[in-house]
Amino acid sequence: MSAALRRARPVLALALVLALGGCGTGQDRGPVTLVFKYARILGNADPLPELLRTFEAAHPGVRVKGEALPWTSDDQHQFYIINLEGRSPGFDLMMLDCIWVPEFARAGWLLDLTPHLQPGELAPFFPSAVASATYGERVWALPWNFNVGLLYYRTDLLAKYGLRPPETYEEMIDQVRRIRAGERDPRLDGYVWQGKQYEGLVVNVLEAFWANGARVLGEDGAIFPEPERAADALRFLRSLIESGVSPAWTTAADEELSRRAFGDGHAIFLRNWPYAMDLFEGKDSAVRGKVAFAALPGRARGEPGAGSTGGAHLGVSRRSRHPDLALALARHLTSEAAQRAIALGAALSPTRQSLYRDPELMRGHPAMPRLQALALAGRPRPVTPYYLLLSSTLQPEFSAAIAGVKPAAHAVADGGARLGYFLEAVR
Amino acid sequence: MTGREAADRRRGLVYIAPTVLALGVLTVYPGIWVLWLSLQRRIPIFDVSRFAGFENYAFLAGDARFWSAGKTTAVFTLGSVALEVALGVAVAVAINTQRRGRRLALSLLLLAWAMPAVVAAKLFEWLYHPSAGLVNVLLGRHSINWLGDPVVALPAVIFADVWRTMPFVAVLCYARLLAIPADVYEAAQVDGAGRFATLTRITLPLLGRILLLATLFRTLDALRAFDIMFVLTGGGPAGTTETLTVYAYRALFQTLQLGFGSAVSVVVFVLVMAVAWAYLRLLRAGAVTA
Repeated sequence: MSAALRRARPVLALALVLALGGCGTGQDRGPVTLVFKYARILGNADPLPELLRTFEAAHPGVRVKGEALPWTSDDQHQFYIINLEGRSPGFDLMMLDCIWVPEFARAGWLLDLTPHLQPGELAPFFPSAVASATYGERVWALPWNFNVGLLYYRTDLLAKYGLRPPETYEEMIDQVRRIRAGERDPRLDGYVWQGKQYEGLVVNVLEAFWANGARVLGEDGAIFPEPERAADALRFLRSLIESGVSPAWTTAADEELSRRAFGDGHAIFLRNWPYAMDLFEGKDSAVRGKVAFAALPGRARGEPGAGSTGGAHLGVSRRSRHPDLALALARHLTSEAAQRAIALGAALSPTRQSLYRDPELMRGHPAMPRLQALALAGRPRPVTPYYLLLSSTLQPEFSAAIAGVKPAAHAVADGGARLGYFLEAVR
Repeated sequence: MTGREAADRRRGLVYIAPTVLALGVLTVYPGIWVLWLSLQRRIPIFDVSRFAGFENYAFLAGDARFWSAGKTTAVFTLGSVALEVALGVAVAVAINTQRRGRRLALSLLLLAWAMPAVVAAKLFEWLYHPSAGLVNVLLGRHSINWLGDPVVALPAVIFADVWRTMPFVAVLCYARLLAIPADVYEAAQVDGAGRFATLTRITLPLLGRILLLATLFRTLDALRAFDIMFVLTGGGPAGTTETLTVYAYRALFQTLQLGFGSAVSVVVFVLVMAVAWAYLRLLRAGAVTA
C-alpha cells in the first residue's frame, strides 16, 4: 500500500503544482530540516557550527540541526543501535566510528553511497580510511577524520643520552633502562600505554600482535590463525609491566591517564593518537618543545611496527527523507576547506592526504608530512560487522593476560573459543 | 451470595483493574517476553532469530566469564551490604549521642546519598588516580594500583559503593533511634547497665526490624549494581569487577545478542526474587514474634 502511495506521490505533486498554477516555484518544497548527529569536538574552538552555517547559506531553504551524541563511544553506539533498530528516522546524517560501518551496513541502516559517487571522488582520501568505510565492495560512508597509533618520545631525554627513536621494542626497553639509570628519578616511568579493560586495550594488543606477525581474524575468517605468536605478544606486554618498563597502573590506563602522565613529564615513551601532540605543545604544557613522535616499534626478528588506524566517518541514514541533501552535507563537511577548518580549530587529523602538505596547516603543525607517512603505514582493526562482539568478547581475556592472572596461551584459547561460539551464530 | 455482594465484588474488580492492567503491561508482559527471548538465539540486526531451547543456559553453565561475574556479584553484595549496615548503625548511634550539629551531620550524610552513582564513580576515579589521586598522595607515594590490580579493584569498587549508600542505612537507623523513648535508657541506667550493655541489649534489638528492611533494600540494589563498576573499571581488570548486570549489559546493549543477554538477565531476576522472598519470610517471621 505504501509503495503504491509512493509511486503515486509524484503524480499527486504534479497535480498540486498544476492546480496552484504558477504560484511561485520556490514553495513546492518548503523549508527542509536536516538533522546531523555528531560528537562534540574538543579543541580551542569548535568549527562545526560555522561549517553548518556555510552549508545553509549555500542551500537556501535548508536548515541543519546539529545534535550532540553522548560522550563515550559505547554510549554513542548504543544510541544508534536502539534508534536505528527501532526504525526511528530522527536523523539524516550520522557521525560513525569507523569500526561500526560494516555492522551498520550489514544491518541495512546506511545508504549505499556507491551509485552516487563520482569516479575518483575517494582517491584523495587515505586508502585505509576508504577501506574501513567499505563493506562488501560498496562504499557506505565518507571518511571525516583520521587517527593512527603513534609512539611519542621525549626528544630532550633521548638527545641527552645520544639515542635515536627506537625501531624495535627491544631497543626501546634498552633505552628506558639507560635513561632511568642516568636520571635516577623514581617518578620517571618508561613506556606508558593503554591497558585498561576497554576498546583501547584491544587496539594496543592488536598493535602488539601485528608487530609479532599475529592476527585476530585471518582472511578466511579463522580466529587467531597464529595462536602461538598471539600468546607471545600478550606475554611480551605482560613482561613490560613485570620488568617495570611500564608502570603497574598500565592495567587501569586509558588514553587520558597515560597522556597526562607523559604530559606531566613522568614518562619517556607513550603510545597515543595524534590529538595528544597539540596538548603537549600547549602553553602550560610541562613537556612543550620536548616531544616528537615516531612509528610504533616492531619486534626484533618480527615485523615492522604499525599503528592501528581509527577515526570517524559520515554516513547517510537509509531512512532519511532527504538523502541527496544529507549526502551533500557529508560532502561539504569532508571537503578540503572543511577539513582544514576542523584541523585548525580542533585537534583532529584530516582524511584528505593533500592537507598534510597544506602550508596553512603546516605552520601550526610542522610534523604533518611525518604524520601522513605514519598514517599511510597504519593498519585498520579487523573490518567486520561483528567487530564489537569480537572486541567485547576479547577484552577481559586480554586484560587477564596483561594483569598476570591468566597465562597468555589460555587467554588466547579461551577468547578464541568464546568468539567462535558467538560468531557461529551470526555467520 | 446476595446480589449486593456480587455487585460489591464486581465493583472491586473494576477498582483493581487499572493496577492489574498496569502491572500486566509494565511487568508481566516484558518479563514473559524476556523469558521467551532467552530461549532463542536472536540478534535482530543480523537477522538471526531461531528457537534454541536451553542452549543459552547450557552455554552459561560452562561459561567461566558467567561464573566469575556471579562470584563478583556475590562478593560485592555481601561485602558492600555488611559494611554499609555496620557503618550505618555506627554512624546513626554516633549522631544520636551527639549533642550539637546533628542537623549538619545529617545534611552531610545525605549529600553523599543524593549524589548519582555515576557522579560518585567519577569522583572516586579521581581519588584512586595512581599518581595524582588523593588516596595515594595521603598514603605517601605508596602508589597502589587501585583500579588496575585484580586483587584490589573489587574492594576499591565496594568502598566507593559503601561511601555512597551507607547514609541510607544510617538515616533509617537514626529515625528509629529517635523513636526509642528516653525512659527506656533511664531505666537501664537505674538498673546499672553500662554503655556496652545498653547498646547490645537495647539499641541493637530495637533496630532489628528497620535493619532487616534496610538490608533488604540494599541487598536487592547491590545484586543489581551496575553504574559504579561500569564507570570506574568497565568490569576490568581481567573481568574481576564485572557483575552479572554488567555482563548482561554487554550482551544486550553492546552486541545486541538479545537471546543470550536475556538468559543472563533471567538468572539475575531469579537471584533477586529468591533473595527478596527469603528476606520477606524473615520479616514476616519477625512480625509474628514482635
